[in-house]
Amino acid sequence: MTRVAEISRIRFFFRRLDLTRRPYLPAIAVTLLLFVLNGFLQPKTLRPVAIVADISTYLPLILLAVGQTYVVLASDIDLSVGGIISLVNVVTVSVMAALGESQGAIIAGILVGLLVGIICGGLNGFCVAVLRFQPIVSTFASGIIFAGFALWILPQAGLAAPDAYWETYGDSLFGIPFVLWILVVMAVTVALIAKLVFSRSLLAVGGNIQSAYQSGLSVPRLRISAYILCGLFSATSALCLTGDTASGDPLLGAKMTLGSVAAVVLGGTALSGGRGNPLGSIFGAIILGLIGSVVFFAGVPFEYQNLVQGLIVLAALAGGVTVARR
Amino acid sequence: MGVLEVKGVNKQFGAVVALENAELEVRRGEVHVLIGSNGSGKSTLCKIIAGSVIPDAGEIRIGGTVTAINGPRDAARSGIGVFYQELSLVPQLSVEENLFLTALPRRGPGMVDRAAMRHGAEALVERFAEVIGDGFTLDALIQNLRSDQRQIAEVLKVLATDARIIIFDEPTSSLDKRQVTVFFNLVRELRDMGRAIIFISHRMDEIFEIGDRVTVLRDGRSVECLRIAETDQDALVQHMVGSRIAPVSAGHRQVRKVYDETLLTVENLCGNRLDDVSFELQRGEILGFGGLHGQGQSLALRILFGAEPATKGNIRLTGSSRRSSNPAEAIRKGMAYLSGDRNRDGVLLTRPILENLVAADLTKHKRFFLSPRCLVHKVSPVVKRLKMRFSGFTAPISSLSGGNQQKAIIGRWLTTQPNILLMDDPTKGIDLHSKTDLYEIMRELAAEGVSIILYSSEDAELIGIADRILVFSGGRIVQQLEGRQKTTFNLYQAAYGVTA
Amino acid sequence: MVVPCLLVIILLILGEIASPGFASPGQIIKLLTLAALLGIVAAGQNLVILGGREGIDLSVGAIISFGAVIAGNIMQGTNSMVAPAILGAAGAGLGIGILNGIGVTILRIPPLVMTLGMMGVVQGALVAMTRGIPSGNAAPALSDFITQPVLAGIPGILFVWVGVGLIMAWLLSRTAFGYRIYAIGTNERAAKLTGVSAWRMRIGLFGLSGFFAGLTSVFVLGYTGNSFIGVGDQYMLPSIIAVVLGGTPLSGGHGSYTGTMVGAFLLVILQSILITLQMEEFGRQIVFGVTLLVLMLFYGRQRRLRV
Repeated sequence: MTRVAEISRIRFFFRRLDLTRRPYLPAIAVTLLLFVLNGFLQPKTLRPVAIVADISTYLPLILLAVGQTYVVLASDIDLSVGGIISLVNVVTVSVMAALGESQGAIIAGILVGLLVGIICGGLNGFCVAVLRFQPIVSTFASGIIFAGFALWILPQAGLAAPDAYWETYGDSLFGIPFVLWILVVMAVTVALIAKLVFSRSLLAVGGNIQSAYQSGLSVPRLRISAYILCGLFSATSALCLTGDTASGDPLLGAKMTLGSVAAVVLGGTALSGGRGNPLGSIFGAIILGLIGSVVFFAGVPFEYQNLVQGLIVLAALAGGVTVARR
Repeated sequence: MGVLEVKGVNKQFGAVVALENAELEVRRGEVHVLIGSNGSGKSTLCKIIAGSVIPDAGEIRIGGTVTAINGPRDAARSGIGVFYQELSLVPQLSVEENLFLTALPRRGPGMVDRAAMRHGAEALVERFAEVIGDGFTLDALIQNLRSDQRQIAEVLKVLATDARIIIFDEPTSSLDKRQVTVFFNLVRELRDMGRAIIFISHRMDEIFEIGDRVTVLRDGRSVECLRIAETDQDALVQHMVGSRIAPVSAGHRQVRKVYDETLLTVENLCGNRLDDVSFELQRGEILGFGGLHGQGQSLALRILFGAEPATKGNIRLTGSSRRSSNPAEAIRKGMAYLSGDRNRDGVLLTRPILENLVAADLTKHKRFFLSPRCLVHKVSPVVKRLKMRFSGFTAPISSLSGGNQQKAIIGRWLTTQPNILLMDDPTKGIDLHSKTDLYEIMRELAAEGVSIILYSSEDAELIGIADRILVFSGGRIVQQLEGRQKTTFNLYQAAYGVTA
Repeated sequence: MVVPCLLVIILLILGEIASPGFASPGQIIKLLTLAALLGIVAAGQNLVILGGREGIDLSVGAIISFGAVIAGNIMQGTNSMVAPAILGAAGAGLGIGILNGIGVTILRIPPLVMTLGMMGVVQGALVAMTRGIPSGNAAPALSDFITQPVLAGIPGILFVWVGVGLIMAWLLSRTAFGYRIYAIGTNERAAKLTGVSAWRMRIGLFGLSGFFAGLTSVFVLGYTGNSFIGVGDQYMLPSIIAVVLGGTPLSGGHGSYTGTMVGAFLLVILQSILITLQMEEFGRQIVFGVTLLVLMLFYGRQRRLRV
């Protein structure tokens, strides 16, 4: 091979490894590392059944993190996702219970749930992009409102979801577990969105909003779209959680909000916007789950588990930020 | 007649009247220059045409039809393309992605056609290949490019939109002569193709080189519209200023007393892109740094001030032989640094004028407890000397005009009573009145024994005011010009590396 | 500043109408006491936010919980141990805050992320320390100081709060440190060129935030009598909101602590009215959230893109 060709091959290879283009690479590496470590500590986790169970547990946070990523790329943030989860969960279960437990009712419940997510996202987008509220305070307030509505609709946890719903969720379709199907569909969706002009424009808004505006991009529309997308993914996350817990619970989403932000950072996306990729957030969410698992299986004494987990997460966040900076 | 006609435009920002009954008429196939001193409204007028500012009143006609422009997208749809003075590039995206931010070629619904994008971009870059220097590739991120490369990227971005009416707002401020030549060739081609071009610049020689007609704005009104061929520099200046003042470049040729005392010795200073710079500075001397833009002049000043790291070399100041490792040290040693980019490097926009004035002095005297009365007492003489006009010390500095803001920043440094004043292109974007005031102050300071190192991108200014000029090229000093050697010819000869 | 004060008055009137006795002196003192607890931790939050660069401290809630346990264990109900307890809790807060500051400046981790992570670590440390079972008691002197009148019918905590207010006002307007906080919050690059050491200042600001949170934890302990895990969580987001309502934008650079004090009082009155109206939990939440959104119409809206 000629020298020139060789050099361009090498350059091509390094371009693939370029962290500015692929900020999610470290996240993938860390995920693999943790996975191997986890398996080493407890070989039983390597069994297909265990892996599927893990995916089932991580899936809600994965979906939430992906949704959050779109908003963060535009240099905003959504602290209401926990509230959206609670609200969608409660609405879905209530609708299904009200309409009898037929297949039609289930589908209706799912559609209504997704619609609620879109509406919540639209409201957030409106407040931030049109009314120009500060995202942190605005989405915090709307999160309280959504959670409040959840409480109103279902004051007490415990309304059961239809059997057919959670049985299907835990079951298989053509031999492959349902949750894996969801994961694949989500991954394909994310890949498709990445190819759209929308993604490039969103990065421009997050990179330099003034430049994006002067270049003729419709900035408010893009920001609202990001929030609606986030609402949609949050709703899907709620539907999965419902499949997992099989009931309605108005306090379901509370802890997940900050976790979604952490997952986004772990995945190499910059909180300042303009740089990052939802693919990284997927791995970021998995990393959060695996850390907990590793700490557990490593035999850390019960009372120290939270502390060790917290320290590892902090270290990982520092790492994620460094990657996003390159 | 004109493809673009603007009539009766009014615009107020709060209490400040930016434009009053402004008018403009641009024809196909002409380069129409827009000039005026700072605050005359030229940028605002262009932003109104570009859609990013909405006028309070007025009418815009394009091709004879009244057109409503409510945002940049409307402007783009009407065939208007804009080069923004502050640049409209997204730093985190690559050159290529920025070029086609809105004009993204699509393959399917909503999909991006990368091959077409690249092809178009390469053709555009080719034109500047010779003069753009290294580091400029289509994949380079804007944030990694130099300021002149970024300006060229913005030029390419405007060209990619294929607009009929093109506005260039100070497109050459960071470009060197060769780059400007390539750029002007492009502009002439566009003109010959029938485009209407609006060109804002404060550089007289460029205006006379490229312009066909010129509209002069003063205090927000359009006062004159002339053919370039039928006027001259002095007349234009007179229209801009509205009264006769002495031209700037024929500076006072009085012999200035330079004390025979070396204040500063720089030996073999090296840094990132600075190579083996050595010179001495006498007390009361005005030393000029010249040469093409970005050859290390700014960098050297910032290294002297401790705002950038040096890799090697000595800086000896009377009383200290250490390099300053940070601005605080430099300030305490009696140095001051005035940047030409006052919005980025100088002004604390929302803070009161008093806070802006005392900022550096707090560092010099290591104060902790403050009394506003004492502070006012300290800065009053400086304010008087600079002839600053303002309502009160507690008013935010944003209430001042651009020229007065820059005066306030100068005041900040004068308050510290520095021995050495480092000036980094301080008159960029300043109106003529304020410039003249500044030159006077510099001469006064020098007479009092303050040494000044001035980097200026305007040759006339440099030659007019500096006692000695050190010409930079490629991070080194290649020539020293004194006395009668200080001519534009010698300056460029040295800058381009032509051996005499 | 005018708007929040007006709102306070309006809300007090509304509260009085809805439930007579709401605005009685005794009740107002109670409200002010709660506001003081929020206000003191908000002082630290205020400093961090003023310093700019997206400064924010999400760990204050966890620090309060942590500090309360430490203070309680030092005190164990003994009056003579109040001072050491204060030192211990405030010192712990200061240390955690400095760690936050180091992460933000030297490791260049964005404040949101750093304090978020630190929150998790402190909560974990709390569990490790207590094994899930809260312990420690407030000394009677402390509880009395917080809840019982000390002078002219006013509890001691309010005097402390006024003191904090005076110190903050003095710090921000009569010291070089204060000028520099505003400088780095407004234009850090320019501030650095005037010789300010931005990173040192930020470590100081985060340290102070932790300090104030630690201080608050002792007072919270005095208010509740004994600690329970998570006693501090309810202070975190309200501390941020109090600062914003008080006129300091989240981007920093301008604002005052007096505004934050009014903001804290406003928040407390708001929450109290909702309880008084005997709304159910969900109603309270919805109204609280909607009110916040409505208030946002007047506060710190971001810049228009088109002028």
